[in-house]
Amino acid sequence: MNSLLRQGLRLGCCLPAVQQQIHTTAVHRTFWEREKKSGYKTKLPEPSKKQMIMDGLRDLKEEMKLWRQEVKEQFESDPILVFRPGETDVVFDFKAPDVLDKWTVTTDADHGEGKSTATLELSAAGAGLFHGQVNSDHTKDGIIKRTGYANIRTKRVRKSFKRETTYDWTQYNMLVMKVRGDGRSYLINLHTEGYFDLMWNDIYHYVLYTRGGPHWQIAKIPFSKFFLSSKGRVQDRQGAIPLNRVTHFGFSVAAKKGMDGPFGLEIDYVGLEYDPSHREEFAYEMYQTPKYIVAT
Amino acid sequence: MLRRAQCLLRLHGNGGHSLVSRFRNYATDEGNPKQNPNPNPRAQKPGTKNLPALRNPFAAAQDRTKNSYLTMVEIFQERDVHRRNHVEFIYAALKNMADFGVERDLEVYKALINVMPKGKFIPTNMFQAEFMHYPKQQQCIIDLLEQMEDCGVMPDHEMEAMLLNVFGRQGHPLRKYWRMMYWMPKFKNLSPWPLPDPVPDDTLEMAKLALERMCTVDLRSKITVFETSELKDAIDDTWIVSGMSPEQEKLLREHSRQKALYIEGPFHIWLRNRRINYFTLRADADSEFLSELDERQLDEDDVSHIEVPFFGRAPPRRHNQLGKLRSVHQQDDGTIMAICATGTSTKDSLLSWIRLLEANGNPSIGEVPVLFRFTSEVPAKAEEIEGGASVPATSDNSSQDEHISSRQK
Repeated sequence: MNSLLRQGLRLGCCLPAVQQQIHTTAVHRTFWEREKKSGYKTKLPEPSKKQMIMDGLRDLKEEMKLWRQEVKEQFESDPILVFRPGETDVVFDFKAPDVLDKWTVTTDADHGEGKSTATLELSAAGAGLFHGQVNSDHTKDGIIKRTGYANIRTKRVRKSFKRETTYDWTQYNMLVMKVRGDGRSYLINLHTEGYFDLMWNDIYHYVLYTRGGPHWQIAKIPFSKFFLSSKGRVQDRQGAIPLNRVTHFGFSVAAKKGMDGPFGLEIDYVGLEYDPSHREEFAYEMYQTPKYIVAT
Repeated sequence: MLRRAQCLLRLHGNGGHSLVSRFRNYATDEGNPKQNPNPNPRAQKPGTKNLPALRNPFAAAQDRTKNSYLTMVEIFQERDVHRRNHVEFIYAALKNMADFGVERDLEVYKALINVMPKGKFIPTNMFQAEFMHYPKQQQCIIDLLEQMEDCGVMPDHEMEAMLLNVFGRQGHPLRKYWRMMYWMPKFKNLSPWPLPDPVPDDTLEMAKLALERMCTVDLRSKITVFETSELKDAIDDTWIVSGMSPEQEKLLREHSRQKALYIEGPFHIWLRNRRINYFTLRADADSEFLSELDERQLDEDDVSHIEVPFFGRAPPRRHNQLGKLRSVHQQDDGTIMAICATGTSTKDSLLSWIRLLEANGNPSIGEVPVLFRFTSEVPAKAEEIEGGASVPATSDNSSQDEHISSRQK
């Protein structure tokens, strides 16, 4: 009965009795957001109390180690202030041990809204290989219009005792990546998640064009080229990325314009560089817009 | 409970019926139940036939060309002065664009915007402007603009004038239009490997484009198109597009005769929405050479061992200062000797490729053992490459090594 009812609700049109009481269109509450996932939060089963205590104690050891390191650094007070031009500092290195645990893979199939598949694994060359199939087919339920994406993202950067923090990349002005793609273009996502719900979905994007072929490619992208968007919409009020507030890093690939099918992006490292010859702060000119037009 | 089940059954029944009736000729005035599901199912009585309120002329059209599409839009415009249901008409038109092959045509989008009445939807006071005057109509045109954006069609200034005539300066479609005109030109020609739009249909042309793109890594690379008919005993009669640079030829000449070369593939490269399979001729990385290079991990921040170039001491000389340079093809995971794409992607055509390379300035390839190493996730594809030879049952993601010597030919 329940499943029938649910099916009826989804179809939304064939149950005259139900339709009078329950409105079947999706409700968009745009005033404020309850949680960061905007309604896509999956409730995972909680482990038992005993398990949680054991996990907590195990984590405590690691967290103490981290904390000790932080305190030591604080007392040493020896930060690197001068970054030599032309030198790449690697941030995400796929040669490091258990690097795959630092990344999360998501696709549209996670919430039953699409059929894309993706995995992140180590390739034969010892690099990270993000591959799978993107598929723009979906159930025509009248709500979802377009699907077909796969995405990888690093986990939130944190300090000891699971306190959230941000990367500070203010000394650099270039993103350097050694990748081997398949001719598709990928989206580079720099999340700058803020405190308020309006800023939870702030992501700075730029395109990573891949050459394809068996040769590695080093892509250098200035941070000034990144533009702000939120929930996939490019914002009217733009600005250069605040490099001291980067929280996540990731890549996306989509099945847009009939590009359904396999994809593969091999990533050796992602690094940062300071290039003194690049003086641009923000690549997009900003005009004064008429009143009450921005963000409407 | 029973009634609901009946409702569901009826719905599915309608679906089945419409599937059958889908192939009817809709040029007559009969309704199309599939394309126009009645929005109000309560009005349906179980015994009666489906009588839709609207007719979708796009699903009914017989010749699906741009001309017939525009004619239908014209007919709708001239049908009566009120143009009732124009929002529904535009949505139906947008949905059927792909069937007519006009989804990337700016003229068609303009024709659809032209269906909207001019001047009627312009807000006349502040409150109308603030509360999205005629929301359905505005949303319809926003959806149209979004479809243009998805298909990569950039609007022009005539469209701005049209939208201004329909919705006025405060209209939401105008805001969408201005955003598109700000961002789309910025990203339109951003790719460092520009491609024709649309890409050619011919596979050979596509293979050439793909090889050219992959060979941009070495500017001296040359793309050659071979025909297998040049060879005497080639089974497949097809083309081979091969990419190789003088540097790769030199590497191949200097390659040890004892070490094997591998033909690997098929890998794929995307050019817009087309996928091209390619194969590589690869050798294992020359670890001896790579270790000779001056890529020692020196900690330049280490100040405990500064060599002072005074007092008779020779200045610190870097290892391999005038020595060999590493070529771009000598990667850590192997040396790339050549790339190719063939018309059939079969083993025979690849064998022909090796023989053609040997005949065209690379005689050393005849003295080196060449191994085929195919990986394909699709067993059928592996069989195709093998050319009818037996394929191991576990061909999913497994690689097959097969030794051939080009001297045995």
